Amino acid sequence: MSHGPSATGGAALQGAPHGHHDDPYVPVLTPGSTPRAKLDDILSRYPTRQAGLLPALWIVQDERGWISEHAMKEVGDVLGLTAAYVKGVVTFYTMYHQHPVGTWFIQVCTTSCCNCMGAEDVVKAFLQQTGCGELGLTSPDGKYTVIEVECLGACGFATPIMVNDDFIDSMSVERVPEILKKYC
Amino acid sequence: MSDTKLVNLTIEGRAVSVPEGTTILEAAKFAGVLVPHYCYHPGLKIAGVCRMCLVEVEKAPKLAPSCATTVGEGQVVHVYSQKALDARKGVLELLLINHPLDCPICDQAGECELQDYTFQEGRADSRYHEPKRFNPAEDFGGDVLYVTNRCILCTRCVRFMGDVAGSRALCVEERGDRAHIGIAPDLDLSHPWGANVIDLCPVGALVSKDFLNKARAWELDRTASVCPNCSQGCNVTLETRDADVVRMKPRSNATVNQYYMCDAGRLNYQWINRDDRLELPVVAGKPAEWDAALAAAGKALKGGAVHVVAGAGLSNEALWLLKQACGTGLFRVAQGPEAPLAGVPDLALRADRAPNGAGAELLGFRRADQPLAGAAGKVVVIVGDDLDGLDTSALGSAAAVIAICTVVPKGLPAGAILLPMANFAEEEGTFTNLRGRVQRFLQARPTPGFARASWTVLAALGVAAGTGGSFATAEAVFAALAASESTFGGMTYDTIGLKGQVAATAGVNA
Repeated sequence: MSHGPSATGGAALQGAPHGHHDDPYVPVLTPGSTPRAKLDDILSRYPTRQAGLLPALWIVQDERGWISEHAMKEVGDVLGLTAAYVKGVVTFYTMYHQHPVGTWFIQVCTTSCCNCMGAEDVVKAFLQQTGCGELGLTSPDGKYTVIEVECLGACGFATPIMVNDDFIDSMSVERVPEILKKYC
Repeated sequence: MSDTKLVNLTIEGRAVSVPEGTTILEAAKFAGVLVPHYCYHPGLKIAGVCRMCLVEVEKAPKLAPSCATTVGEGQVVHVYSQKALDARKGVLELLLINHPLDCPICDQAGECELQDYTFQEGRADSRYHEPKRFNPAEDFGGDVLYVTNRCILCTRCVRFMGDVAGSRALCVEERGDRAHIGIAPDLDLSHPWGANVIDLCPVGALVSKDFLNKARAWELDRTASVCPNCSQGCNVTLETRDADVVRMKPRSNATVNQYYMCDAGRLNYQWINRDDRLELPVVAGKPAEWDAALAAAGKALKGGAVHVVAGAGLSNEALWLLKQACGTGLFRVAQGPEAPLAGVPDLALRADRAPNGAGAELLGFRRADQPLAGAAGKVVVIVGDDLDGLDTSALGSAAAVIAICTVVPKGLPAGAILLPMANFAEEEGTFTNLRGRVQRFLQARPTPGFARASWTVLAALGVAAGTGGSFATAEAVFAALAASESTFGGMTYDTIGLKGQVAATAGVNA
């Protein structure tokens, strides 16, 4: 099973179509920018700057779609942390992308209940119809990345999926084209 | 100690009293009981991540990680109870799940704590039949190679680089069974003290590129010595295979270098083994017997005023005998940038790149950039300086030149008398570090050819010149030195031991 696009060393790393360069790096959290204002607001609620690390990474990922090594360094500099520390945190959590992903990031739950309800078929349908082919890879048009995830907490409405931040339950193979039409 | 509250407890049936706040693991060490451990290291912050030091504490609901549990009054600790042994056996089994068991090709084999503890209390077989995780080895920069598969994630290296070296180059990447040590995008271990992570690593995950596949740990002989590469005088172990030094490792000394040594010192040992050595005495361009050469040298010494050039790598004994035979003189010390280790007070790779500049000064020798200045027309005695980079034109007009050396210096006149001597690894002696600490080093390899220990040669030279007595051992030389030099008064090899002793009036004593 793929560990999704955040895993290093797997198919996602070798096969990603975009390459993983962001040179030259354009900073996200420049003073005066909206993302920086958002971060400063968040930081005002915590006793230490270190506490703002996870939200800061979310802000960067929202802006760029993924978190590059340059971005880790930038976040570290802004929060007074070292790049190695930030890297440790980014790699710990699977929901931070260390490589670029498609415009629409589709997560399909394949845990027990969903599996019984045909989640594997839903995954296959998505992989086929988006053109991704393989879990964790991005479609040639750059629009989609599909991964399996652990329980999305809607066992009574299997199979739930998430497309970026949108939650959709009771997914079936039949509904896949409809979803892809909505997110295109 | 009167204001420190002592806590009494029992460890493996032994009553122990230790200061409040001591951990069980350290208290056990104090009582002479070794608790197996990986992540604990006395020089690093407590992490409590390896779970190898689990011990049973009576009345406690579950086993305690002894490295992170402080002692309590009346505690009864069992390190080797069945419950503790079973738990540690389980820990070892889990640590070995993804371990490649490649001991036959691993440099750490023979000095590996994973091997030792598995042998001591692990399972004899494996119940894990699934494929093992595989990650490629990674070059961490500097002298360090990271063999990911062998790593047990004790994080000693991460803590050393972050907390002691002050360069947070390492981190734990990923999680669960995919976790491994990662390196920062903008840093590597080419830090001046980076190679210490190799010593700290309890397993074969961080290995030295310099030592890679050179020797098996059990083939090495180990000799207590002092690093000759700067004036800090880090205590080291010279590890020899047959007669060659194959690596230099720090030897712990709380006052001088704790558990560490710098990369520049650690990796500069190849010169000890160089084989273009002077192996025979030479008089008038021809090999000579020692007696004839010493007689010639003694005669030459009486031929006029003497100009002495000493090396800052000579032992105190050699320098003192040189002073007895020919008087004091000049010495030079190679210079380099200083590189402190952030987390340890008063520990640095020093600018003075020689071990005994302080000793030479205490014995009356004077520092000079051009130690040959003023040598013209005199009898020049050169001991332990290769004259590399010096203007040697003054030697052409010298009355006579006597060189006591390991390799033949460049620029010597044809008629020079050459006497071969041992380098520091081939003899016994003491160095005085920059804080006036006198430290012993022992002989690690044989002297080549007919070369003799520097103190033997210089004592014989004193006898030949009629200015000094004869000595049978380096220890006897030091005793005579201590009797005549008040700075070293009262010191003997016994009082110095293997951890050193500060000279009485060193002044700079920290």
